[in-house]
Amino acid sequence: MAQTRTATGARDASDARIGSAARVRGRIQGQGNLLVEGHVEGNVTLRGDLTIAEGATVTSEAISAQAVHIAGSLEGNVTASGAVRLASGARVRGDLQGSSIVIDDGARFSGKLDCEFDLPPELGGASQGEARGRASNVSGARR
Amino acid sequence: MPSNMSSVTVIGRTTRIHGRVTGAVDLEVQGYVEGEIAVGGDVTVDTQGLVGASVRGRNLLVRGAVRGDLVGDESVLLEAGARVVGDVRAPRVAIAPGALLRGYVQTGDVEATTPRASRTQAAARPVVVQPVARAAQPIQRAAAVPVATPARAQPVPVAVAPKPAPKAQVVAASRRPPPPVVPALRSAKGQIAKKKER
Amino acid sequence: MASTVIGAGITIEGEIATDEDIVVAGTVRGKLTAKDSVTIEHGATVEADVVGGSLVVGGALTGNVTAQERVDLQSGARVIGNVKAARVTIADGAQFKGSVDMDV
Repeated sequence: MAQTRTATGARDASDARIGSAARVRGRIQGQGNLLVEGHVEGNVTLRGDLTIAEGATVTSEAISAQAVHIAGSLEGNVTASGAVRLASGARVRGDLQGSSIVIDDGARFSGKLDCEFDLPPELGGASQGEARGRASNVSGARR
Repeated sequence: MPSNMSSVTVIGRTTRIHGRVTGAVDLEVQGYVEGEIAVGGDVTVDTQGLVGASVRGRNLLVRGAVRGDLVGDESVLLEAGARVVGDVRAPRVAIAPGALLRGYVQTGDVEATTPRASRTQAAARPVVVQPVARAAQPIQRAAAVPVATPARAQPVPVAVAPKPAPKAQVVAASRRPPPPVVPALRSAKGQIAKKKER
Repeated sequence: MASTVIGAGITIEGEIATDEDIVVAGTVRGKLTAKDSVTIEHGATVEADVVGGSLVVGGALTGNVTAQERVDLQSGARVIGNVKAARVTIADGAQFKGSVDMDV
């Protein structure tokens, strides 16, 4: 999945890739997608998707992107507007927030998951306290 | 399926249990359990199952709704349709597409693979979370919740803040001495200075 | 097959309520309420007040029993408590200590 449109100037101008030999320290910001195959230390803010490939390592206080797919290792918190997926080889430590979160069997993970949904009313329903900071979540919930 | 009644336990769809369920065998919940579940066998929370309890068992399979912590001696699998608010701990944890979880997750091997000073967080977690339970909020639930299992309260509410903070501080304290280590980080208020040396 | 089965090896301490039937082969302490039949199997231990549509006891039961229709204490049953039901049978070989009220 990685190799496409890298060397050619034809690639989507907003896409980026940090190759396996590369090491980046500092903040990364972008409009498009980012594929990390190498090593990144620093915060990442993307409009597009972030993929942390197998073998890649990312250390970051804060990552925000659309969809986030992790097959490598990550230490840091993720805030995704889209889906977050940890593949089975992933090693992740940090909190994850996304529209949906999938952890494949075999992934190693330690952290908090934050997903917007309501429990059935029998179990307390929306439990607004848990949705703190995201009013949109609670708006439709019973109270 | 279970024709040998004595070894299979099923909490049927219209059955509600308030209390503790313990034992050495498997358990299937299609109904409602509030309180605590701790068995030596596998626990299945079916699609219609509603569990307001901490659940401990060998392998936990959840397709229904749970408010409470899930601890699997071997695994915890959340399948499509699962809705869980609580912490999940097991050597193997899998969350399938369509399953929803709010809470901390800890897989068995994580500690071993990331030996870092901030590991103490793990221990701190439950402690951080519980005192925060806001008594004011879950009023609607009060009627249905006579047995107050503390861990179930609201595992998540305030967790966002506590976590990064201690982490950053620990790191900052230990790694800070030569202040301007990384020029590129000036905008990050030293937080990402928690780089690891390789 | 009953909708709810408390198997041998399971202990429930608390309240159980169901709109259907229930079979207990394990241990229940607290309170047990069913709209349909309640079966306490041989080997089961129930220390609870039991309310049901009907009740069959083959195991050990300590507690007061109320059934809409009937209560049958089978041979081998050990029951301590008061029984209230329209019809009550106590089989030869059942142990029973308590009062019977068939006034319902």
